[in-house]
Amino acid sequence: MSGYVYFFGCVIPNRYPGVEYAVRWVTGKQGFNLDIKDNREFACCPTPGVFYSTDKDTWLLLASRNLVLAQNERREILTVCNGCLASLKKATEYLQDPKNMGKVNRVLAQIGKKYTGIPVKTEGKRKLFEPVKVRHYVEVMANDIGFDAIAKRTTHPLKNIKVAVHYGCHYLRPTEHAAFDDPNDPVMIDKIVEACGATSVDYDDKLDCCGAGGGVRSHVVELANALTEDKCKNIAAAGADCIVTGCPFCELQFDNAQKEFSKEGIPVMHVSQLQALAMGIDPISLGFDTHHVSAHSLLRKIRGS
Amino acid sequence: MKDQEKEVEKVFIGGLHEELVADKVISEDQLVPDFPDQIRKYGGKDVMTCLQCGNCTGVCPISLKIDYKTRNIIKCCQFGLKKYTLGTNWVCATCYRCYEHCPADLNPAEVMIALRHIAVREGIIPPFIKTVATNVVKFGQSVKPDAGNDKIRRELGLGPTQSQDPEYHSVIREIQVLVHASKYDKLIGIQDEVKV
Repeated sequence: MSGYVYFFGCVIPNRYPGVEYAVRWVTGKQGFNLDIKDNREFACCPTPGVFYSTDKDTWLLLASRNLVLAQNERREILTVCNGCLASLKKATEYLQDPKNMGKVNRVLAQIGKKYTGIPVKTEGKRKLFEPVKVRHYVEVMANDIGFDAIAKRTTHPLKNIKVAVHYGCHYLRPTEHAAFDDPNDPVMIDKIVEACGATSVDYDDKLDCCGAGGGVRSHVVELANALTEDKCKNIAAAGADCIVTGCPFCELQFDNAQKEFSKEGIPVMHVSQLQALAMGIDPISLGFDTHHVSAHSLLRKIRGS
Repeated sequence: MKDQEKEVEKVFIGGLHEELVADKVISEDQLVPDFPDQIRKYGGKDVMTCLQCGNCTGVCPISLKIDYKTRNIIKCCQFGLKKYTLGTNWVCATCYRCYEHCPADLNPAEVMIALRHIAVREGIIPPFIKTVATNVVKFGQSVKPDAGNDKIRRELGLGPTQSQDPEYHSVIREIQVLVHASKYDKLIGIQDEVKV
């Protein structure tokens, strides 16, 4: 297995194109120059709040279809979204059970696809496979690139910027999926923030839910917003200049919910957007004008520092 | 609040407590003895292992905002009080905090997901499920493409999203074949959107 394949999911390309730009920029030639490519046949992961919640068979079929595409390219999936991570990673675990794999492959045959996992070696006549690897952008940054390398590439350190990091539930839980970071005391996004020259501030209930997941935002938006309001109060109390998250759905929730309960709002961005800023990108490329909460004063503060 | 909204609230948002109190006495014909087995069938663990410690409710972020008590729902599952559980779990954010704090290793979040499976099969389907599933079978994505977004993508030099590629038709077809094969289109009532 070598290299990665982008898996942007649904929210980023359709709602936050600036995040897509930032991720491509940070991982591309101008940035860390990863061996990474696109696959334009990917579809929805599918979204756990709908498919995993209502019919696990359909969920597994649609997830497996995506996994097969990565398997055939012999590449690791790089997700930029906690939901995609949860959905696809759980699917690889389900497919470890030969019974599930057989059932899925009988249906996938109808579209000419087959999930085997990625062949690693041959023992006699037996071929050995390993599951398709599903990685989170943050974890790839932390483990494959490293905080020192990120700090080295920080040409425009974000001095004086206080950041409230929000990890998001499916980055942390269930714990067996999130084994790459400490689920009770996660550090990876905080360390990326520090490597960008900014300060990560602690705040109450940092690991709490943004409120959007599991279909709650789509189902009862007031309830989702009430949870976000609590979080934002704690974040404001810590004096943060912006919220940085690794999940575009949390980003969407913070960005949209704040206009319901506050006038100004705290700007919110994906960790890749923060990195791109620290690496000296022109902020116009980060699509901040698509965000509901204006980032103007934040960008002014960054330029002034 | 409008009547219709109230009705939605009763069916989909924590109507459990209110209804139980209103009914006062639960007659035996309301009990579904094999309910725990039905939950297991859809991937939940054995609800009978629940100790009723209440940790799940204590750590549930939703319980802070509305009358939604995970422990009560699990209790109803144990008794086989199916009627009281099916409309109540669509507010679970699947944050899995209850799972992390459950001393019985029951994973209440997965029980909620199993209850959603059962609810859908009884015709209790919140509108957003259909909307999102329709987006997936029509565009391959859970979020509807948006003209304003396309314009911004062009300005950033990103080009159109993949779902607008002419070749993406074959992907949509594959998705529809899979959704039809698992009878999901019929299950949630989106047959008209699936053309295979």
